[in-house]
Amino acid sequence: MLADLVQNTLDGVAAGASYALIAVGFTLIFGVLRRANLSYGPAIMLGCYLATLAFQRQPALGALALAAIAIGGSVLAGAYVERLCFAPHRQGSAIAAMVASFAVWMQLEELATLALPRHVHAFPALYDGAPLQLAGFALRVESLAMLLAAGLACALLWWMLERTRFGLAVRAVIASPVAAELSGISVPRTFVRVFALASAIGGVAGFLVAASHEQVTPMMGMWFTLKGMLAMMLGGLGSLSGAVWGALALGLVEAHAQWFFGPQLRDLLIYALLFALLAAGPRWMITRSAS
Amino acid sequence: MSALLEVKDLITAYGKIEALKGVSLAVAEGSITCLLGPNGAGKTTLMMTVAGILKPKSGSIHFAGGEISRRPPHAIVGAGIALVPENRLVFPNMTVLENLQAGAYQRRDRGIADDIERLLTRFPRLKERAGQAGATLSGGEQQMLAVARALMSRPKLLLMDEPSLGLAPLVVEEIFRIIAELHRDGTTIFLVEQNAHLALTVAQHFYLIEQGRVTFSGDPGSLAEDEVIRRAYLGTARQ
Amino acid sequence: MDDYTIGVLTNAGLFAFIALSAYLLLLAGELSFGQQAFFGVGAYSGGMLTAMWGWPLPLAAAVAMLLGAIAALAVAVPTLRLRGLYFAMATLAAAELARIAFELLQWQVPVDGEATGPDGTQGFRGIRWVLESGIEPQTFLALIWAVLTAVLALFLALERSKLGATLRGIGEDPELAAALGIDVDRWKLGVAAAAGALAAMGGVLYAHHNTYIEPRNFDIMLGVHSLAYALIGGLGTAFGPLVGVLVDIGLLEGSRVFEGYRMIAFGGLVALLLVVRPRGLLDERVVQWLRNRFSSR
Repeated sequence: MLADLVQNTLDGVAAGASYALIAVGFTLIFGVLRRANLSYGPAIMLGCYLATLAFQRQPALGALALAAIAIGGSVLAGAYVERLCFAPHRQGSAIAAMVASFAVWMQLEELATLALPRHVHAFPALYDGAPLQLAGFALRVESLAMLLAAGLACALLWWMLERTRFGLAVRAVIASPVAAELSGISVPRTFVRVFALASAIGGVAGFLVAASHEQVTPMMGMWFTLKGMLAMMLGGLGSLSGAVWGALALGLVEAHAQWFFGPQLRDLLIYALLFALLAAGPRWMITRSAS
Repeated sequence: MSALLEVKDLITAYGKIEALKGVSLAVAEGSITCLLGPNGAGKTTLMMTVAGILKPKSGSIHFAGGEISRRPPHAIVGAGIALVPENRLVFPNMTVLENLQAGAYQRRDRGIADDIERLLTRFPRLKERAGQAGATLSGGEQQMLAVARALMSRPKLLLMDEPSLGLAPLVVEEIFRIIAELHRDGTTIFLVEQNAHLALTVAQHFYLIEQGRVTFSGDPGSLAEDEVIRRAYLGTARQ
Repeated sequence: MDDYTIGVLTNAGLFAFIALSAYLLLLAGELSFGQQAFFGVGAYSGGMLTAMWGWPLPLAAAVAMLLGAIAALAVAVPTLRLRGLYFAMATLAAAELARIAFELLQWQVPVDGEATGPDGTQGFRGIRWVLESGIEPQTFLALIWAVLTAVLALFLALERSKLGATLRGIGEDPELAAALGIDVDRWKLGVAAAAGALAAMGGVLYAHHNTYIEPRNFDIMLGVHSLAYALIGGLGTAFGPLVGVLVDIGLLEGSRVFEGYRMIAFGGLVALLLVVRPRGLLDERVVQWLRNRFSSR
């Protein structure tokens, strides 16, 4: 019983790490642009698909090359989304931007199915071998990589935000776009850079998730976006550290709920939890809403 | 003295409503020029248009030889104009130091650190609170921070929108002392003020704006002060 | 009219219900990703009543609408204080809860010797009331559009009335509306219930047209689609969502021109359209212009 609990906790934390990467990217866009990007997951998925295509053409490609392709693809797709869905509505309607991002979600999903028609395609694992044994508990190499990547990403992000000129601009834009402009910071340019950064971080998550599951499917798009949104919401909307905690909480609750109740009730529990949190809490609604 | 800033027939609208109905004025280089008028006359709209936050429907804004009305706000900062906005808009989540660094965002030279030092010396209260978050400062300190931040970009023209708003008289005196100092050091200042009396003591030239139009232009003393004050608060009886 | 066209027009009519449901909430300033839940409630409850207990469709539809309204209130009451994306996420969570509930719903009774009823993830087959009553596809199509026309007439009447103005007022500036003495909460609940009933109506008809439904039919895609229909069609009039539905299902899918890449076409169309017309094709300005033109006769 205790062994299961510990194993589930390990698995939950590993899953939480992947959610953390996704959530951080999603929250960056939401926190800075004040918009929800429904194409966030699909752009990541497209990056993974590009990597899959490359792998199918050239099986000799190593993990680093595939990761680069996945990240690059995600950034490219993200740039497309930014230009079409967010730049035109910068001073306009948040809803229009969000619906446009949903429209592009549909585009990207169909594009993926056209490129790779089968429902599931194989993706190479990061490491061919048995999981590591840690005091009698199994820890997959992918999970370890995920934890390291998430930790590294968070540290780098913190450093960037607190210690670089770009980070200063980002924090300024988050606080007040008008004050930022008056200080000489270009808000549109900051948006573009934040988008690219968020897409890159998402691309890393996507690559690791694909390698972890050893497959890609078009449903990954929606899956990524949902996890990102859920984690962000659980952690208190709009804060980056909140997103990380929300992601870890999500991973842990999922892992334990799945063990005790099975997959359907696990999802039921998560959504019920989210609904209850939203219904209960002015605390979660403090600073900013999307409208 | 030549005009550093020249505004011609400026029309700025919010949707269908025109807040500026064809404003023309000039700010002479090296001067303190003041814009007075009742609430809702269009003073802040004019400031925001010059700073590039609002885009005019028609008209022109010439600054140091270039037409700037179509440029994005950050480019206008780069051209040498800085606005101290009406509600100060300090970055609440960033320290005093970081607020100043943000003000220097457009600058790539090495003098930034020295400028920060100099400004902190000039504003000793800010120096005390250099590591504190903007939100923790008092109204007067935030005003000084906003001015200091604007000065970080080494502007040729400093726009100030109601710097005395909501501040205690002693603090207001201090602000105006700083304005006089800046003027002495050669900065051109375009000042919007509700406190007409105080504004007229520092300005070389002033404009009255009412309902989106300039209704008077002259030196302090060219109009009886109580007349100026009346029109600055109430506007002229009927157009 | 050939079978294919009948099918396309029927689908368009069915999805118009849920698009109008999303539109109604948008008018009141609420962004909902979850109307598919009530569509599903209508589908399952209406289907169960006719297939398992032999109720006639009109009666089943009435009950389904009531259940849709109640379900909508169950979501709306706890989320009354929420705005913007928070509200949208809550509706999404609620809709996913409903979908999972449909996956868990297993209830079958013997009808003519066969086990009939929802069977969890396997779906609910045998909703054959329309077929067994001898109603032809054309007739059912006419019925669906007749109901839809009645609904549209109601919407048009609403838009011209003080009710409509109040609703839009609440949508644009709820604080102002409250300051003017309007009980915003009660209005929001009313709108939610009406939208729920509307979606449920669509759901009942959908279930009886398809004769088979499964939980997957009522997922997020449906919800976000309905929102998209409402938005590209335009928020100026109830015809807006209808236009949105017709463009996607009628034009793009029906015309088969975009076979294989209908989503790419529709998605691109929506995104581009929103760039030039953020409030849709038939937005308030266009509608006002149309009204002026036609009333000056």
